[in-house]
Amino acid sequence: MKYRTFFTTLLLFLISFNIGIFMITFTMFKETIKNAEERSLMEHYILTSAIAKDFQAVESRGIHIEGVIDSLLHQYSNFSGDKKVRLAFYQNDQMIYSNGQEIVWKSNLLKRSEEGNRQVSFQKLDNHTYVNVSGNLPAPYEAYTMVYLYETTEAIVAWEKMKNMLYTVGFILSILLAIGLLLLLGQIFKPLSQISQTSRNIAAGAYDTRLPASGNDELAEMAQSFNYMAEEIQRQMVELTTAAEKKQQFIDNFAHELNTPLTAIYGYAEYLQKAALDEDDRLSAISYIMSESRRMHVMANQLLDLANLKNDQIVWEAQNLTDLFQSVKQTLHNRILEKDIQMEFSSEIDVIYGDAYLLKSLFVNLMDNAIKACGTGGQISMDAVWEAGKKTICIRDNGKGMPPETIQHITDPFYRVEKSRNRKEGGTGLGLSICKQIVLRHDAELKFISHAGEGTTAKIIFTTS
Amino acid sequence: MEVVADILIVEDEISINGLIEKNLQLVGHQCTSVFDGKSAISEIQAHTYDLIILDIMLPELDGFTVFEKVKETPTIFLTARNSLADRVKGLSMGADDYLTKPFEMLELLARVEAVLRRTQKNKSYFEAGMVRIDFDSHQVFYMDQHVECTPKEFELLEVLVNNRNIALSRDRLLELVWGYDYEGDTRTIDVHIQKLRKKLGWENVIKTVYKVGYRLEVKR
Repeated sequence: MKYRTFFTTLLLFLISFNIGIFMITFTMFKETIKNAEERSLMEHYILTSAIAKDFQAVESRGIHIEGVIDSLLHQYSNFSGDKKVRLAFYQNDQMIYSNGQEIVWKSNLLKRSEEGNRQVSFQKLDNHTYVNVSGNLPAPYEAYTMVYLYETTEAIVAWEKMKNMLYTVGFILSILLAIGLLLLLGQIFKPLSQISQTSRNIAAGAYDTRLPASGNDELAEMAQSFNYMAEEIQRQMVELTTAAEKKQQFIDNFAHELNTPLTAIYGYAEYLQKAALDEDDRLSAISYIMSESRRMHVMANQLLDLANLKNDQIVWEAQNLTDLFQSVKQTLHNRILEKDIQMEFSSEIDVIYGDAYLLKSLFVNLMDNAIKACGTGGQISMDAVWEAGKKTICIRDNGKGMPPETIQHITDPFYRVEKSRNRKEGGTGLGLSICKQIVLRHDAELKFISHAGEGTTAKIIFTTS
Repeated sequence: MEVVADILIVEDEISINGLIEKNLQLVGHQCTSVFDGKSAISEIQAHTYDLIILDIMLPELDGFTVFEKVKETPTIFLTARNSLADRVKGLSMGADDYLTKPFEMLELLARVEAVLRRTQKNKSYFEAGMVRIDFDSHQVFYMDQHVECTPKEFELLEVLVNNRNIALSRDRLLELVWGYDYEGDTRTIDVHIQKLRKKLGWENVIKTVYKVGYRLEVKR
């Protein structure tokens, strides 16, 4: 595009520029010729009138013209003084005088005029250019014809010089213009090439490439739109990558969660088959096989719950919070006693709306996590309060807490704060994923606030009910 | 001294830790179990072990970190992480072997055996009842009398001893003694087992396990 514009512009310029020069030189040429003609005609007229007067004067003195014609005409031969003028004199087609000895008077050069009119023509002879004027003397000397030859070579040469100079200057100007044009086009097309380079970079995967957007012309506006597009692409790519990574993570974790019990089950079965065992060995191997199978069963159920939660309809009902809390406490009674945990409950809110079964399993799960985080004699409080006009339930423990960077992952399926996936605390790693799903189905928000060693607060913020 | 070793098992899954321990005990090894990285390091500093079986994903400290602290002890990584990158990392750090879950009993024992054979210079002998086998000189004695054995018989004996108290199928025995490409049938095994039983008076020691194969049963 750049070069097409360049060549088109340059060609248009060259054509019009050269036409201009041509017109100028052509006009000048015409002018030169016209000047020469006019001058020649005028001099021819002056000369013929003067000669006719002389003839009259000579005749009035009774002297015959033929006798003095040579000396008479000789006076006029140096008339212009610059030796540019040649004269020839004819009497009835018979040349009677000529001062242009060096010139071969060609017959065609000396065309005598037929009528009384004078004739003007241009003649070229041996690199010299002449204006040729021939005409009869005024009456009563019509028999005499004077041919006047004026050399215009100098004027023509001067014109040619001028013409050459014009073309040379034109040529230099054209080169300068071409360079200037190239620079200008480069400047104009720079943003375009930048855009194409940036697009290529983005296409190649460098999603953080941006166009420089300065000023407030159309280009800057376009650059801003372009950058906006690039940002959107980058954001969506990041989202896609994160989603893909999460999926991969889920599959990896799932495979691991399946592999561990399967390894144990297979291993103990092989042990039973091949080893020489006593009764104790046999029983312990069997109980391992059974407990690992049960773990897989629980995991399968929870995965199913998680999948169903996304699709199943939930039943919206008013739930009395105090009753709900009592039933949660009842469920966890044994564990609370086991670890000697202090439970507190306070509520500013009477009812929340939602599915009784799901809300209970949500609170049981969160409480259970809190109990796991606490050591013996820990404290857990559950408070229902209004926060910024929204019903909010906080479950607070004073347990071991967790590092802030893990908080955003704890609701991922199979995610464990300890990379080791230590199952000492039990659980399949799906509990919080289920919690998050329940909370989402209630159009609520689940937040965790925690610092290692300072306990954890889980907040459920209800936006609708 | 019999071919036994002190082995430290570092594995956070109680069931799998127990499984490894039981398997290693079958062939006479002494086992200690720990369940996290920190106690693994203190255990290693307190005792000398012939071999460590080390999981990578551990509480407190991961297996790679533990391994960096205990380089002099032979180590087999045993992990569910079976990506090539992890294997290469484990082996290039200087681990003696890398085994992924799920694993087979015989594979675990074979690798433990291989590492121990490589790292323990004084290759030993095995004694059970009236039989004494010297693995260095490839000699077998029954009631202090030298017993002539063909090379295949001795190899079969070695496999049985290394996997003692574990039933080995005829196919597996063929594979371990004669190699994968042996085209004979499993009757060959029966013939050789009969010969060994007769030569060593092991009619009741090399037991036939119903529907499985043979098992060399000795006291643990």
